Parts: sequence; structure tokens; C-alpha cells
Amino acid sequence: MTAAIEIQGLNKSFGATRAIADLDLAIPRGATYGFIGPSGAGKTTAIRMIMAILFPDSGRLSVLGRASALEAKPRIGYLPEERGVYRRMRVSEFLAYVGQLKGTTRAQALARADIFLTRLGLPDTGAKKCEDLSKGMLQRVQFIAAIINQPELLILDEPFGGLDPVSVRLLKDVIADEQRRGATIIFSTHVMAHAEELCQHIVMINKGRKVLDEPMASLARQYDRRTIRLVPLDPAADLMALGRLPGVERMRLTDEGCEITLAEAADPWEQMRALTGAVAPARIEFARVRLEDVFIRLVGSGAASPADQALREHLQGLSAQGALT
Amino acid sequence: MIERIFLVMTREFVATVGRRAFLIGVVVMPALGLVLLSQLPRLLTSHGPQVSGEVALIDPTGRIGPQLRHALDPVVIAQRRATARRTGPGAAGAPAAPAPGAAVGPIPLLSVVPRQDPGLDAGKDWLRASADVLPRHLALVVVHPDAVVRRSGQADYGSYDLYVTPRVDQDTESTLREAMREALVAGRLASGGIDPAAVETMLSVASPDTITVAAEGERSGQNLARALPFICGLLLFIGVFVGGQTLLAITVEEKSSRVMEVLLAAVSPLELMWGKLLAQLGVGLLTMAIYVGMGLFALLQLSMAGLVQPGLILQLLAFYLVTYLVFGALMLAIGAAISNISDAQSMMGPVMMLMLIPYVLTPVFGRQPNAPLTVTLSFIPPFNSFAMLARLASGTPPPLWQATLSLAAGVVVAAATVWFAAKVFRVGLLMHGKPPSFATLIKWARMA
Repeated sequence: MTAAIEIQGLNKSFGATRAIADLDLAIPRGATYGFIGPSGAGKTTAIRMIMAILFPDSGRLSVLGRASALEAKPRIGYLPEERGVYRRMRVSEFLAYVGQLKGTTRAQALARADIFLTRLGLPDTGAKKCEDLSKGMLQRVQFIAAIINQPELLILDEPFGGLDPVSVRLLKDVIADEQRRGATIIFSTHVMAHAEELCQHIVMINKGRKVLDEPMASLARQYDRRTIRLVPLDPAADLMALGRLPGVERMRLTDEGCEITLAEAADPWEQMRALTGAVAPARIEFARVRLEDVFIRLVGSGAASPADQALREHLQGLSAQGALT
Repeated sequence: MIERIFLVMTREFVATVGRRAFLIGVVVMPALGLVLLSQLPRLLTSHGPQVSGEVALIDPTGRIGPQLRHALDPVVIAQRRATARRTGPGAAGAPAAPAPGAAVGPIPLLSVVPRQDPGLDAGKDWLRASADVLPRHLALVVVHPDAVVRRSGQADYGSYDLYVTPRVDQDTESTLREAMREALVAGRLASGGIDPAAVETMLSVASPDTITVAAEGERSGQNLARALPFICGLLLFIGVFVGGQTLLAITVEEKSSRVMEVLLAAVSPLELMWGKLLAQLGVGLLTMAIYVGMGLFALLQLSMAGLVQPGLILQLLAFYLVTYLVFGALMLAIGAAISNISDAQSMMGPVMMLMLIPYVLTPVFGRQPNAPLTVTLSFIPPFNSFAMLARLASGTPPPLWQATLSLAAGVVVAAATVWFAAKVFRVGLLMHGKPPSFATLIKWARMA
């Protein structure tokens, strides 16, 4: 079976600004990919090109086995970042209209609208006009519009922005159902915790370029050798003393113990020995790399430390090896 | 693709004609306008205050007094006004008594008071003393000594001087001037031994209705037939304008409400554009159908429906289609290019000119359907639709090949405009921020 999305050498410029540069990407069917990157990095431009709303200057792109999403739109669900509704339309009419545009029959669309409205905490809103709904309620309606056609490919651009935690949980449950149904999901977000929770694979875009293309599981196996987490055997141990050890740049107390940041020149293994010598540990480990750390280190300002640079090179090396699942 | 275009078209059409604004703009307002137009003179004149008072007359000729009294008789004033207001056949006929309730306005009650004292200052004092006395002193007329009989060796008659108080309104002053003109003419005719009534009768020629004799028969109602080119131009303008304006407003609204990208998730920009274009085409057609229907109904009532040939309605539809496609596509492009309706003004100006200039020229086309200017412009977009329709609606329609050529020119321009608009539409839909210049639009069209 072909990949859900295949992109080769994709380029797009707006005037002098290069929005997307030499983007290569392959997203297998049924996978959940997270697009992360800072604002203006090119995520939405990439998504719009996948959706054939924008057209690339060069490069090849195939969506669900078709040369353009235009030929597969009924099989795609898309929740854009900039989303609206017809304010004067009734909610169920709006959802039926979008469903019909995506090839669903009116009866099917109305039935699904009813089910999803109830599931997302909006029963009895079908007959209301969109303009009578709150912003949060409208966002849920827009989300339903994206999945009303039971898409094979679901693209969600910042789906949780402005939603309360209960609504976020409801949406995540539906997204999980879509994953189980076998839909390929692309999920664009600024919120790393959402990406970590939902995605199997992370693609990071910065300044129009892909800087990371890595399975989430592979990222979770990465450790930050500059950050050591220590849980003391004796809860009354003097952890403050650890902060005064040579080679320790910073020490921060946590609920369980402390987190130590090593100085640039310090040898991680030597420091590990020194720390365990000073305080008997119940547990001591190098900190796992969090997506947020990866994000900050890969797209942060140019003043990266050598350690950050090393991590960046390491991660980019992994990407270059094509560690795609 | 066709199905999606149809869905977009249906939704937009229903949304537009279902709006209260459409009902008010297309049906209620014109109906209200017609009612107002027919009732306005009556409304304006029936509630004005009536002026009454005295007009002092210093008349050294001694011949004006009786004539002026007659001319200021309320019945005579009413007859004069009714005659002046009447238009159409028989307008120049003899004055007849106004129909009961005819809108001739409040008739001033002016009584003529001859003043023996020839002193102008005394006359002015009489006028000034009008404030607190009744009947009010309203005007002073000083007739020149040679106003009725010319001085020997002089070519022209003398006239009169008129002094009025501030209480005299323009309507009353006009009445007074008209009465003086009538009185002086009557005096002059009488002094020459001519009967004024006989002269009036001689000057009166009733205007007949024109009967057009053609191979297919005779028809009257030429005045209405002459109005057909203007009516066609007006219908074309209204149909195109209603659709075009709505297209602009809806597109901008969809952009600003950010529903555009939700739609683009399901349809291509081209499908969206055609759906919108066809929906407003339908709205324009419906608007025209309402007006044409109302017009035909009125003609049927007057047993004049034969004046409108079915072929002309088809030709109107054909030219409406090509004109609408040009104007509507440009409006769509503008709507897609801007982010809010206030940005539209600068870009709409040139596009509006494309419609307004040919429309404003419609009376010229209608009066001179066979003039070289009309014939030439009837092949040159954007004038072709208005000029050719005026020619087709005239008494001497051009041969079919000319109408076809004109339509073909319109089709070519419409196709080019729609092509350009589609490019701008596709790029502009997701652009927000400051409105682009015309050069930017060209750039968009080239890059899309």
C-alpha cells in the first residue's frame, strides 16, 4: 500500500521569503504524525500544500495515492488553524453542508453530526444558529466538520487552541477513535505535551526546513547527558551540597529529589560518580529528552551551547539515517 | 466537481435570496419607490400652507387690472398649473378644468388692489405695513407705462417691477409672475384688437399618438417602445450590479469569518468560485425576472404586451450573462484580494466605471441606435452589451450576425476575465492584511 503522504523536494516561496525549502517526507497510512515548529516555521504552508490549497513552486507530492489532494478531498478531513463557520447557518445544516461537499449524503452527515455533537458535549445544539454558540462550542463544531466524512487522512492544525481541559479531553478521545479506525493523522501544534501524548512520529520544521523527522519512541530513548536526576536514599540528605560540587552548574530541587545541570566542560560519568559519592542515591539517571527540550534546542536562538549543539547534531544524525518507522 | 459546484451554488443562492436584505432591496424598495414616485407630487403639494393676501397694482396703462384679476382667479390658476403639469398627448391643448383632487398644490388667494398713488415709496410703505394687518399686504406690482402699448419707435414692450414681502414663497411668486405675463399678453392683444381666446385656440395643437406602420402590421404606443432600450439597459445594470455587489460582500465576509479555508478543505478554489459565480448569476436572473415580470404584467394591463418581443428577452439574457461574468468575476477577485469591505473602495472604482460608463451612455445609444458611435461601441466590450441591446430594442434592430458578433466579443472578454479572476481568487483567498495593488493582482495571476 502506498504511503498516505509522500513529499519530495517540495519548495514554496512567497516573494523573497522561502516558506518551505526542500521538504522530503513520507507518512505511512495509519500513522499519527506531529508537525511541530515555531510560529511562521512553515507548518501551515506545508499543510496547505498537502491540501492543494496552495501549490508548490517545485517538488513532488502525493496524497492518498493521488497526485493532488484535489482528487482525494472527500477522503480527507482538515481542521485549519484559521477556521470559521457560516454564522447564520444552523449547526446541523452547516455540518450537513460540509459533509455533502465531502461526498457524504445529507442523511449520513446529519446522523453523524448528531452523534458527534452529543459525544462532544453539544447535544441539542444542532438546531441552533452558529452565531449563538460560544467560541469553544464552535471549535468543537468545526472539529466535527473535519471528521464528518470519516476521513482516511485527518489533518488537524492546532485543534486544541482556546479549548478548556474538558473539551480537550473529549477531542482527544475522538482523535484516539479515529486512530483506531485506521485514519492517518497529521497533527500540527505548538503544545509539545499534546504532541508527545498523541503522536507516534514527530516532524519538526524550522524556517521552512525539516530539522527533525523521528519516531516518538526513538526520541523517548534519548537522554540528556547534561541533566542528571537524583532521588536520595535518605530523604533528609543534604541535597544543597550537590550544588556546590565542581562541575555542577545548577541544582534544582524537585518533589522526589533534585535535578542537576552540569557545566559545559564537566565529564558526565565523572560527575555521576561524584554525585553518588556525595549523596547515596535511591535512583540516579540522566534525564530523558523531552520534546520541549528538543524543540527549544533545535529551533532556539543561535546561541546554543556545545551540549545543545551536540544534541542537535545527534538528533539530526538520527533523522538523516532515516530512522522512520 | 459538478456536484460540489452545484452544492456551493445552491447554498449561496438560498442564503442570498433568503436574506431580508434581498427581499427589501429587490422587491419592497422598488415597489415602495413606484408608490412614492406616483404619490410624491400629491404628498408634496397637498399639505403646503395656503397663502392669502393683497397684491397692490400701480398701473399707469389702466388696462392690466381686470386681466390680472382674471389671471389670479383660483380656478384659472388651477387650470394653468394642471396644463403645465400635464405631459404627453394633448399637453399643449386648451386649459381644462383640473380633475377633482388633481395635484396642483395650494392655490394662493390673491386679491388685486389698484393703488391710485403712483409714488413708489408709498407703495413700499404699504408693503412694510403688512406685518400686523389683515388681509396681509403681499406684493406690489408697478407696471411700466409702455407695458401694453409700445412707445413709438421702440421694438420692445415695457415690463413691470415686482416687490414682495418675505412672506411670499417661491410658488406664490411664480404664480404672480405667470399671472402678470398672462395679463400683459392679454392686454397687448386686446390693444391690438385681437381676441386672446382666439389666439390661444390657434396656438393649441393636440399631440397625436404615433402609429408605427411596419411590414408585420401597425402598432401604437411608440413612446413606450422608445423607452425599451433604456429599460433593457436598466435591467442589465440592476441584474449585474445586484449579483456583483453580493459576490463581493459574501466573499469578503467569508474571508473575514475564516470559513474560507474550511470550505477549501472540501472544494477546490475553482469549484468554490464557480459555485459563487453561478449562485449570484441566479440571483441576478431572479431579480431581472421579477422586474421583467412586473413590467410585462403592467403592459398586459395596458394591452401593450405585444411591444416586447420574446426574442428581446432572450437577447437581454444572453448579454446579461456575458456582462455579469465579467463584472461578477472581477468582484469575486476583489473580494478574494481584500480582507474587509472598507478596503474595496479603491479597487472597485475602476471596475464600477466599466459598468457605469456604458450604462450612462445608454440614453445616447437609445436615442441614436444607428449612429456610428452606437454601432461601433456595440462590438467593443464593455460597451457592447448596452449598445447592442439598445440597438436590438430599437425600431430598427441590426441583423442577427451583428448581434452574434457582439455577443462573441463579450464571450471572449468574459472568458479572459474569469480566467484572470480565478487566478487572483485562488491566491487571494488566504491572504490577509493590507489590500494589494493592481500590480500585485497581476503578479498573483501570473504566479497562480
